[in-house]
Amino acid sequence: MTKARHVSRRGFMMATGMTFAALGSRSAWAQRLRIDPQEFQPLPIAIPNFVPGTGADGEVSAGVTQVITNNLKRSGLFAPIDPAAFIERITNIDQAPQFQSWKAINAQALVTGRVTRQGDGRLKGEFRLWEVASGQQLAGQQYVTSPEYWRRISHIISDQIYERLTGEKGYFDSRVVFVDETGAKERRVKRLAIMDQDGANVHYLTKGTDLVLTPRFSPSTQEITYMEFGQGDPRVYLYNIETGQREIVGNFPGMSFSPRFSPDGQRIIMSLQQGGNSNLFVMDLRSKSTTRLTDTPAIDTSPSYSPDGSRLCFESDRGGKPQIYVMPAQGGGAQRISFGEGSYSTPVWSPRGDFIAFTKQGGGEFAIGIMKTDGSGERILTSGFHNEGPTFAPNGRVVMFFRDIGPGPALFTIDVNGRNEQKVPTPGFASDPAWSPLLS
Amino acid sequence: MKVDKTIVASAALHVLVIGWGLVSFSARSLEAPPEAMPIDIISSDQLAKMTAGLKTGEKDKPKPLAEKVAEAKPVDDAVGKITPKQEVLTSTAPQPPPKPEEKPVEKKPDPPKPVAEKPKEEPKPVEKKPDPPKVDPIAEALKSEEAKKPKPTPKPEAKAAPPQPPKPKQERTFDQSKIAALLDKRDPARQAIAGPTLNQTSSLGTHAGNADAIVATWKSAFVGAVRRCFSFPYNGQDSDQFEVDIDIQLRRDGTVASAPVIVAVRGPSRSVGVAMAESAKRAIEQCQAYAFLPKDQYDTWKYIPMTFGLKELL
Repeated sequence: MTKARHVSRRGFMMATGMTFAALGSRSAWAQRLRIDPQEFQPLPIAIPNFVPGTGADGEVSAGVTQVITNNLKRSGLFAPIDPAAFIERITNIDQAPQFQSWKAINAQALVTGRVTRQGDGRLKGEFRLWEVASGQQLAGQQYVTSPEYWRRISHIISDQIYERLTGEKGYFDSRVVFVDETGAKERRVKRLAIMDQDGANVHYLTKGTDLVLTPRFSPSTQEITYMEFGQGDPRVYLYNIETGQREIVGNFPGMSFSPRFSPDGQRIIMSLQQGGNSNLFVMDLRSKSTTRLTDTPAIDTSPSYSPDGSRLCFESDRGGKPQIYVMPAQGGGAQRISFGEGSYSTPVWSPRGDFIAFTKQGGGEFAIGIMKTDGSGERILTSGFHNEGPTFAPNGRVVMFFRDIGPGPALFTIDVNGRNEQKVPTPGFASDPAWSPLLS
Repeated sequence: MKVDKTIVASAALHVLVIGWGLVSFSARSLEAPPEAMPIDIISSDQLAKMTAGLKTGEKDKPKPLAEKVAEAKPVDDAVGKITPKQEVLTSTAPQPPPKPEEKPVEKKPDPPKPVAEKPKEEPKPVEKKPDPPKVDPIAEALKSEEAKKPKPTPKPEAKAAPPQPPKPKQERTFDQSKIAALLDKRDPARQAIAGPTLNQTSSLGTHAGNADAIVATWKSAFVGAVRRCFSFPYNGQDSDQFEVDIDIQLRRDGTVASAPVIVAVRGPSRSVGVAMAESAKRAIEQCQAYAFLPKDQYDTWKYIPMTFGLKELL
């Protein structure tokens, strides 16, 4: 009663703009005590092995645990605690854990789970996310799927944990399409490949007989658009991941390249070569109608839509060196936004809409950076001999790119603060990554 | 055998006094303090701040002593005031070599002057005491100060003649007429106490004025303790825009009395702000009990309003 009155009084005083100075003994606290973390620290989290529902589920439950642990660790935001330090052994996820034993190892969050192969042959994955300090359950879900999709269950649970603890959507249940490169440098075979965002489940989409470049995901995740050097000029193609069918996008004279989907997945924007110049065109996939967006005696390329589809950014050398421009999606009124030293290329609009990632060349180095959509706040995330081709994670917090330091390119991720650079495991050399939207 | 009565009386008296002393000065056993005293380690600056004030001043003057109105940059002024003093010192600085020579010859009647200005040169007059011929010129030197400086030659003479040392003692006779010469002619080194308004009454320091300084000693310890457990997993570039206000109530033993109350969440994303608030609550509960908080100041920390931010993450 007293407390309630106290709180309501405080709320009223805050609402009326008064301070705590009038609250008697609270006068010493006229100012709130300010607490900022001294430096970024990942959240300590304990993920004991998921309990196998039956004796035969031990391997898959251990696999699910490992994928979740790996996802959270690679994000850089979480610090999974070494299982060797665990005091309590979780054997039943339907009983509350002994939180003191998890607090003793400084775990702030605890994940318990169970994986069971059901009578119908399907796999059921359950998990609970606990707050160790208060003993409260923060999240709890169960998923049922075919056994071969056990990794997807792991990624979905990872996203649930990520979202509950950070307040943001995760990005683990997503895929990456990239160009797989094998063979000697002068006779390099390039194939389209697709994999989970953590590098697992690699599948090859093309055979490598023709050179492929710049694959891009459709927002529907069922299709990919890319450029392929066939018998004649390079052309933009559309590839259906599920059916394996491909088709050419438009039948334009000359080279078409650098394609990308519109946010609704119904249009493809690309560059068409006209003499020594190239301009931007957009093609409606249903009506097949094509609209010219730029008409300059320069090379306009690498277009990318803003997530709301109202604007697009692209690269153009109309001012001399390649720079980044932003213009309305229907064309006209392009505004240059990059003004730093060197040249800027391959701009990509973040799915969050807040940043544009780019490749910056200057001083003998290639850097990956981001800037706000008005060109302010430029920040270089990584630089070196050769970094190129940024692509955003579905939540816009991580950028993937490729780096070639000599023998061949490899994929890396780094977060938008320039922290937590991680190499993405691929079977061979890899370049030109494009991140898919979330699958679920 | 003859016993001296005075010795007996003396011995008896001593025994009496010592016996009385043993009884009255008997040692008391030390009692252990009822409970451990909380100790805060504070810097000398903090101590100086807490004990600021004059012992002779009045208690709890609301207004601090201010002898002059504050200027825009008091720190810069203080530096400026010190440098002019050095100019005066420079006139004395070159003198050290000649002064010892002068003292034996002329200034012996004025012992205070050399002492006030150059205490380091005391050993030299001891050596020069033996100078008998210089006694006469000293009398003359008393009449005119100007004559003192020009005579630099006495050194060899002083060493040559070793006789009467007592004479300098006589020279110590205090001459009231020469007081002016003894005064330190340098600019006053003391700084005026500056304040927004003039106040000529000195005080022991204000009662409430130092409260913050005292509280600050454990306040910083509390901030450090909570910060150790506060790790919010966020990697956006707008982290400096997030703030969460949380109020907590503590028991006397430093444990959290009730669940921390989220008062306000500010930031570009509601969901991130709420997750951050939960993270802050976790930190508060994870790091309790805050047993180091001084129990005698419980009233100042039983209720603590806090603001959590992410400014350092950028």
